[in-house]
Amino acid sequence: MLVSAALGLLALFFFFPMIWMVLSSFKTNASIFSTPFAPPTSVDFARWSEAWEVGNIGQYAINSTITTLVSVTAILLLGAGAAFAFSRYRFRGRGAFMALFALGLLLPLQSYFIAQSTLFTQLDITDTRLALIIPYTAMGLPLAVYLLKVYLDALPEELFDAARIDGAGDWRVFRELALPLLRPGLATVAIFSALSAWNEFLLALLYIQDDALKTIPTGLLAFSTRYVTDYSLLFAALSIVTIPMIVIYVVFNRQIVEGITAGSVK
Amino acid sequence: MKPTRAISPYLFLAPALAVFGLAVLLPMVLTIGYSFTEWNGFGAMTFVGLDNYATAIGDPTFRDSFIHVVLYIVATLFLEVLVGLGLAGLVHMRPGRLWFRVAIFTPVMLPMVVVAVLWSFVYNPDFGLVNAGLAAVGLEELQRVWLGDTSTALLAVSLVSGWVFAGFYMMIFYAAFRQIPSEAVEAARLDGAGEWALFSRIKVPMIRSVVWVTVLLCVTGGFQGFDLFFVLTNGGPYGATEIPTTYLVKTVFRNGDVGYGSAMAVILTAIVLGVGLVYARIQARGRRVDPA
Repeated sequence: MLVSAALGLLALFFFFPMIWMVLSSFKTNASIFSTPFAPPTSVDFARWSEAWEVGNIGQYAINSTITTLVSVTAILLLGAGAAFAFSRYRFRGRGAFMALFALGLLLPLQSYFIAQSTLFTQLDITDTRLALIIPYTAMGLPLAVYLLKVYLDALPEELFDAARIDGAGDWRVFRELALPLLRPGLATVAIFSALSAWNEFLLALLYIQDDALKTIPTGLLAFSTRYVTDYSLLFAALSIVTIPMIVIYVVFNRQIVEGITAGSVK
Repeated sequence: MKPTRAISPYLFLAPALAVFGLAVLLPMVLTIGYSFTEWNGFGAMTFVGLDNYATAIGDPTFRDSFIHVVLYIVATLFLEVLVGLGLAGLVHMRPGRLWFRVAIFTPVMLPMVVVAVLWSFVYNPDFGLVNAGLAAVGLEELQRVWLGDTSTALLAVSLVSGWVFAGFYMMIFYAAFRQIPSEAVEAARLDGAGEWALFSRIKVPMIRSVVWVTVLLCVTGGFQGFDLFFVLTNGGPYGATEIPTTYLVKTVFRNGDVGYGSAMAVILTAIVLGVGLVYARIQARGRRVDPA
């Protein structure tokens, strides 16, 4: 009984800022100020559609979706390829290449982002989608290679020998045997990489100035400086960004928790 | 397995290595190179040896930024790891409460910018939840401009960090608790151990290695924190929340001092890697002494 009460209170404490955010998005700026705790008098989504259209949130969401989808697809394909090579073949330089990816697991972003930005400026890819897709892919690869290699290592060698006896070449073994068997591992990697790409902020801030290409984090920041005192509009924008994430979490909570914790406690 | 063609393994590896090399490895090497130069990012580059490192060591802002980040890390060890451990203990007593885990884990899923903008409203001096809440219970004299007051800003940012990551650590500990064989817990229960004794003497010691990993995550992650600080205070008020990452972003991208910023980045990287290696060392030694 006591434990249940404690759980309830804690959940309320953690959730309250988000409830307050949604309720405030239905209120006028004046009533946000005068009665911060009072519920709205009516549920009106006018400010939500205003934020979506006028505030460009729709465009930011499209940009985030494209960047995330392309990066995650690239991480899965390239990561699976490298993991397959490391797990199934013995070749010259294997140890050294694996060490490079292992280093990538530890390196903080700060160790490379300064030169990365000068490099991208010289290559003239800042203010294009590539400026985010390339680093997001690169940052996701070490973990993808590591996790997928663990999955592949657990598969029995006989499986691959049998495919080989049936006459399958290297590419066919990878595409028709390894990739399908890797599916659970790919799902874990996809969830973790998708959340990181969706939420990434620093590189997006540095590389994308063009408002039409901004992703949700930097777009929302631009939005909040543009409408700095229009609180109900800002609360509406925050709600639009937050609620889909809650829905996604409720639906896929087991996979998401597995993906995030596996990704962090490597 | 033998490759059908000797070149196959390299073909599988090449695309990943190319992207990783271009976007991470090459820039990392270049950053180390830049740290020995004076350069504004596009003009002439002058080699200055170790000057930037000497400047960094004597730079009071840089030194203070480390004090701030260490205070922040200490605060988050309590607000994230310890609170997360406690929450996991509570949830483990009453498993199956999905709504509870949703409520506490949701902030982890949100972009930090969203969290930061939301909390800038929670801390808003005029209508924010904190000050309004204090007024509601008659404690107006405790009201503050939480993010604008040098004595509270760092703690206010740490609290937001706790709000986000306590749920993250809770899920890690909860997963670990569920791996504990139930006989161990049941045996202790039969011996008359209460819930607190079960938690502190049985459950937590049994997931000790996980606790150590999370401490490492919290410390190394803390040094790399940026988003919350940038949006909530960007180092202010009066430098009270300046941390190494915000300072080096200003140095490079506002003042155009690529060389000096790179030297600070190298120092920060060395610290993060150093903490990780020392930690791995201690862990390895612990494992030799105590095979459990």
